[in-house]
Amino acid sequence: MLTAVKNQVRVTLLTTKYALMKEMLNKTTFLMNIVFMILNNACFIIQWIILYSIRDGIGGYHFQQVLLLWGIAASTFGFSRCFFYKAFNLSEVIQNGKLDSFLIQPKNVLLSVTTSEISPSAIGDLIYGYIMLGISGFSISKFFLFTLFTVSGGFILVSVTVILSSLSFWFQKADMISEVGDSLLTSFATYPEGIFQGTMKILFYTIIPIGFINYLPIRILSEFHLGYTALILLIMCFFVSFAFIIFYRGLKRYSSSNLMISKI
Amino acid sequence: MRKYLFIYKSEIMSNLQYIGNILFGFIFYFLLLFVFFHLWDYIYSDPEELIHGYNMSQTIWHVIITEILWSSVGGNKLCQKIINDVRGGNIAYNLNKPYDYIGYSLSSHLGIATIKLILYIILGFTLGFVFLKDVPIHTLFHLLIVLFSCILAIVISCLLIIMIGLFSFIIEDSTPFYWLYSKAILILGTLFPIEFFPSVMQPILTSSPVYAVASGPAKLFVDFSWNGCVEVLFIQLFYVGICYILCKLVYQKGVKKLNVNGG
Repeated sequence: MLTAVKNQVRVTLLTTKYALMKEMLNKTTFLMNIVFMILNNACFIIQWIILYSIRDGIGGYHFQQVLLLWGIAASTFGFSRCFFYKAFNLSEVIQNGKLDSFLIQPKNVLLSVTTSEISPSAIGDLIYGYIMLGISGFSISKFFLFTLFTVSGGFILVSVTVILSSLSFWFQKADMISEVGDSLLTSFATYPEGIFQGTMKILFYTIIPIGFINYLPIRILSEFHLGYTALILLIMCFFVSFAFIIFYRGLKRYSSSNLMISKI
Repeated sequence: MRKYLFIYKSEIMSNLQYIGNILFGFIFYFLLLFVFFHLWDYIYSDPEELIHGYNMSQTIWHVIITEILWSSVGGNKLCQKIINDVRGGNIAYNLNKPYDYIGYSLSSHLGIATIKLILYIILGFTLGFVFLKDVPIHTLFHLLIVLFSCILAIVISCLLIIMIGLFSFIIEDSTPFYWLYSKAILILGTLFPIEFFPSVMQPILTSSPVYAVASGPAKLFVDFSWNGCVEVLFIQLFYVGICYILCKLVYQKGVKKLNVNGG
């Protein structure tokens, strides 16, 4: 069992490595994607400087916490797109019957598909997250916690997308549901929790789990809480397991389109 | 001119078949307005409070108008189309056609932008009424002038995006430039009126393309004045001319470097 897991992890890392090498064929474009994504994210600092010049403490967050919120939002987004980019096109892969080449591999199908591509600009998001951590106040303990929440948040993002994309096994046009889910998670991710009231707060800790990806980690990074940390990890395990269950249930309904594709 | 009008009409007719895809974009527009409504509701302790001369209703209407403009343009699709034309060599097919590539791209994209503009105006105004229960503009004539300014803003925005796409003649993929352009418009033109920025930046922003494609028409809508109207329309007409000339220059320079591999 342990050997099988070890092998799977090795194959996944190798797949990611080759996907990265493919993207690095044109080094100028690759580097430009990363640098410009960092600049792109940095533009939003202007927005918050202006908002904080109007009022101190927005939604219960001070300026450093907003930077940290941006950091965790960018790094979770970057982690998910960097290592599991294809998960965000999974609907299209299922609908067009492009799973065949992954099904013949003697490894986990979901991991093989999702790790088959990376997004170079997502590396920029990931780096930007750590830059924000540095600016908002760096410490070794914060670094480890930030990394832990980047991974947990990234896994939750990927899992939600896989769950919604897997609906394509049952319904046509399920890619729209997946896109809406994705934009719900990203739209609220960079705004302080306190500006939303009532029902929205309940939604953030249930069907739009942005609370476990961004808001709770910010609270823990400000003041460590073991119970909340354990809760986030538990929620991550739940979403990941649920994603695997839904995908493999759906896979039984998959029908090939006899499409010839080459994987380079 | 008639041939571009024909392309424009054809694009409108063909895009009317896919109106469902446009309606799907409403979800993202609604989400953005929803977030901003909560944000400004939190910042304004009293809706009648003035921040830099704007009350809450005016600030949110500013976002509604600028977002209508941005969503109607659909810049990412246009930029990717131009980049793919350049990178994939499709642009070569246009060389022997009896039209100008810039004019063709502009008129064809304005077709879809027109449909989107009409639909987003309906949605934006409905949401504005629901959230704010008033409109800051009161005469039909003023509204028509703002509409004309919005059309000019969309034309300038399309030209700027075509120019960014044409940069692919120089670098392989100009998408990162589009990211920066879109963020500049979002941060400097969409989210806040110009008056919210430090006084040093205001004259620079007023004479920049950001004012022509976003803040200018929105400012006319939330606080109409004849002086402001002349200023906005003058800046916009200036940018229509300058952007078209720049597009032509980048295209003419780039097309000389074009290598087409047959197949």
